[in-house]
Amino acid sequence: MPAMTYAQVEETVLKTLRPASLKYWAVVSLLFVGILIGAGCWAYQIAIGIGVGGHNIPVVWGTYLINFVFWVGIAHSGTLISAILYLFRAGWRNPIARAAETMTVFAVCIAGLFPFIHLGRVWMVYYMLPYPNERNLWPNFQSPLVFDVVAISTYLTVSSLFWYTGMLPDLATVRDRASGLRKKIYQIVSLGWTGRHEQWRHYTRAYLFFAALATPLVISVHSVVSWDFALGIIPGWHSTIFAPYFVAGAIHSGLAMVLTLMIPLRRIFRYEAIITEDILDNIAKTIIFTGLIVGYAYMVEYFLAWYSHNIVEQESFRWRAFGDYSLQFWIMVICNSVVPLLFFFRKVRRSIPWLFSISILINIGMWFERFVIIIGGAAHDFMPNAWGLYSPSLIEYAILLGSFSLFFFLFLLFVKHLPSISMTELKEGIHQGGGHGR
Amino acid sequence: MNRILPALVIIGLGAFLFQVSGQHPEKAWQAYLVNFILWSAVAQGGLLFSVVLHVTKARWGRPLQGLAESFAAFFPISFVLFLLLFLGRTFVFPWLGGDLHGKDAWLTIPFLFSRDTAGLLILYGLGFVYLYQGLKLKRSQNDKSESGQEALQSRMTVIGVLYIMAYALVLSLLAFDLVMSADPQWISTLFAPYAFVKAFYVGLGALIVVAAIVHLRHGEASSLNPSHFHDLGKLFFGFCMLWADFFYCQFIVIWYGNIPEETSYIIQRTMTLPWSRLAWAVFILSFVIPFIVLLNKQVKTKPRFMISLCSLVFVGIWLEHFLLLGPALSPGADSLPMGMTDVLITLGFLGLMAMAVRFALARFPELLPVQKQEVK
Amino acid sequence: MAAEKKVMALFENDTRAASAIEGLAGSPWKLEQVHSPIPSSKILSALKVKKSRVGYFTLAGGIIGFLSGISLAMYSGIQWNLVTSGKPVIAFIPFLIVGFEFTVLFAVFGNVLGFLLQTNLPEFRSLQVYDERCSGEHFGILATCPEGQENNLVAFFQEKGGEAKLI
Repeated sequence: MPAMTYAQVEETVLKTLRPASLKYWAVVSLLFVGILIGAGCWAYQIAIGIGVGGHNIPVVWGTYLINFVFWVGIAHSGTLISAILYLFRAGWRNPIARAAETMTVFAVCIAGLFPFIHLGRVWMVYYMLPYPNERNLWPNFQSPLVFDVVAISTYLTVSSLFWYTGMLPDLATVRDRASGLRKKIYQIVSLGWTGRHEQWRHYTRAYLFFAALATPLVISVHSVVSWDFALGIIPGWHSTIFAPYFVAGAIHSGLAMVLTLMIPLRRIFRYEAIITEDILDNIAKTIIFTGLIVGYAYMVEYFLAWYSHNIVEQESFRWRAFGDYSLQFWIMVICNSVVPLLFFFRKVRRSIPWLFSISILINIGMWFERFVIIIGGAAHDFMPNAWGLYSPSLIEYAILLGSFSLFFFLFLLFVKHLPSISMTELKEGIHQGGGHGR
Repeated sequence: MNRILPALVIIGLGAFLFQVSGQHPEKAWQAYLVNFILWSAVAQGGLLFSVVLHVTKARWGRPLQGLAESFAAFFPISFVLFLLLFLGRTFVFPWLGGDLHGKDAWLTIPFLFSRDTAGLLILYGLGFVYLYQGLKLKRSQNDKSESGQEALQSRMTVIGVLYIMAYALVLSLLAFDLVMSADPQWISTLFAPYAFVKAFYVGLGALIVVAAIVHLRHGEASSLNPSHFHDLGKLFFGFCMLWADFFYCQFIVIWYGNIPEETSYIIQRTMTLPWSRLAWAVFILSFVIPFIVLLNKQVKTKPRFMISLCSLVFVGIWLEHFLLLGPALSPGADSLPMGMTDVLITLGFLGLMAMAVRFALARFPELLPVQKQEVK
Repeated sequence: MAAEKKVMALFENDTRAASAIEGLAGSPWKLEQVHSPIPSSKILSALKVKKSRVGYFTLAGGIIGFLSGISLAMYSGIQWNLVTSGKPVIAFIPFLIVGFEFTVLFAVFGNVLGFLLQTNLPEFRSLQVYDERCSGEHFGILATCPEGQENNLVAFFQEKGGEAKLI
């Protein structure tokens, strides 16, 4: 931990909340245009029909589902950093916890859009909710798709509450340094937090419970998402390893996204003394671990596909590596399990350009992993005469662009209006070299 | 102790020989296999604790790392026991001589034994190198010489990472070859990770027991304090939940898909007598009881209580190994093919493990988290 | 009750603040509250506070959640009452997932509810007897004394190493 004073911490973080430059608003506007393109295309799809997307029989799940799984995955490492590393008392998480948790909230919001986008008749989406109706129809709670509804809603709610509650002391700090209308706004938003001992007493307890509850939640949510596929009998999907494999993959892509966000953030906001190279190093080491798990899962699946001597399984896995989508397959394998091995070298872990480039490659690889699993499973299952191919349409590409634009748009708005580093946790770290005093 | 443990080993050996020469030698080999896998897992998982703490540069468990490393003393014994499995191959490998529809490329005795022997040599070799480096580090710390300590630590990290990778791969190999292949038609991709999470779970449990015994034996002189037990207890609780989660992951996928070539394995073990009772016992002993008990914070810091709890979990996981292998090795059993000889053979293995750990702690006192008597 | 005067004292570190708290315990003056920018275990132990009861709300929420989740799944299954995809109408294996998610959701609701109820947030009146530096670097102690004794109280705080002022 750098030996900063409380005042230095505050100054560094509060400086970032000052009115933004023109360049900032230009980028935000550009991203907004991206959002409008995506939203426009979605509106077009609602008006014309789901057929404007590229999916059809047999590949009924296309980029919308890939994006859904991708964004839920990104969300997971935010909770890993803010909740799981908190339970492990890893102090290096303090400077990045706030930004990571924010990344989670926004990523889950975007992920939650995709089941809507993927529906043809969006106006009927309320059918998914359990409400009493005169036809006495209820969702089928044995279906993994309904598990998804429950799990994603829970994850969104819990993450938002965790994020907001965790921010209260910081919002109070911003309120106390602001004036005028800003002060009034932050006054309301900080709920009148004054740092009284009773408030701290209950806050630390509540925070501990948040972390302890968020941890199993994280594991269960992506397990539930993986069961969207694994509970079916399609070869390549029906595999018991899916739950831990998806969770590890989610953390893998999420950590890469953390690097993608933190590296420019620390440069632009001059956070180098707070988000140190040691922290980026630790993230890189964790990425080695998750990359190895993902690589192991690939190997086990291939080995057991051969061992099972089930001709359908064997054909499905042969086709993945050497068939119509082999390019995507090899991008996936190389970007997810081979490229992160470079992080074994200290020089690579300590070099900002390498960290940034590898993080982008990992995210590309993880997007393609979902492509290989989802498209590969649906395109090439039991009956050869039912095999078919898929390619995304322009509308789908536009919505993909819109989702990325929305994510960065929200994140940029966040960093300029809310403290992007948790000043309170940093101060605690300076105070006693650890986490919240329990 | 000095006489009880060898006596246990001899009793175990005696029980085994008695059973093997009797009418049902397969029961003896069944017990042998179950115990071999379980106790090797304790040793492999136990050492993993020290390795993981070192690689993540965690400081909270320093005094416990030496105890965890002492489990490596079981490695040579485990290796010999594995080789001895060859003698029981007709009982331990139900696929021997059957029509394997192409799996013969993988499931042949020479190939199986050579790859598993090689795997164990690599895993145990790495474990020993790690242990050796660890001892060198501890000794150099006692001499208070700074030079070379950093180099030693980074070398240990490299070996540690290799051990972790070997652990995952070799334990997967053993899980496939010794347990999953007993039902050659069945596969589950999560089976191997399930096995090595189980190994870490029992390894942690064994570590708690050994730490508790050391703490109770040495009282004031031990460097272990309640916060160590609290943290270790929390980790144990976490892995209890992880084990149950992995079990559930396999179960729900197979249950939901309802594909007969997968479900027969599960149905035989969890829904048909006589094995279903055992399944419930496993679930209660290994998950329900530890989960409810360990929710309480205070309980983790009471060594005597934790010894009982961890022993209970251990029995649960022993029964789980038995449950996985039993229907395959004793097909068509009407009642549980368990008897007194199983208990005695298990005690024999317990004796072997305890002797190994005691030997390591006596031979390398640096591993023991006890304040030295002499004044520095 | 005679008119009371409030004195707010600011300390640079929590050890001094903790010793001031202990000093106040034996004095005729009343300690109102302590503000700090971070949770300090020294201050909390000097105040001898009991463990927070937020956990009970969380536990209650969790139990309600589990029962609600399982009941909802069971109830909705019974309404359709037909075997779908070969799965029984009431099947605990998938219902456990629904129960688990609801457990976490309602436990978190309980957590937040307990936190808000126990801390009495949102609450804006105490902002009037508050020094803004307490969210920055300083630990603030607010004490009251009967009229006439303010100077003694201020002197007491200054002796303990803080800067005191009347409110």
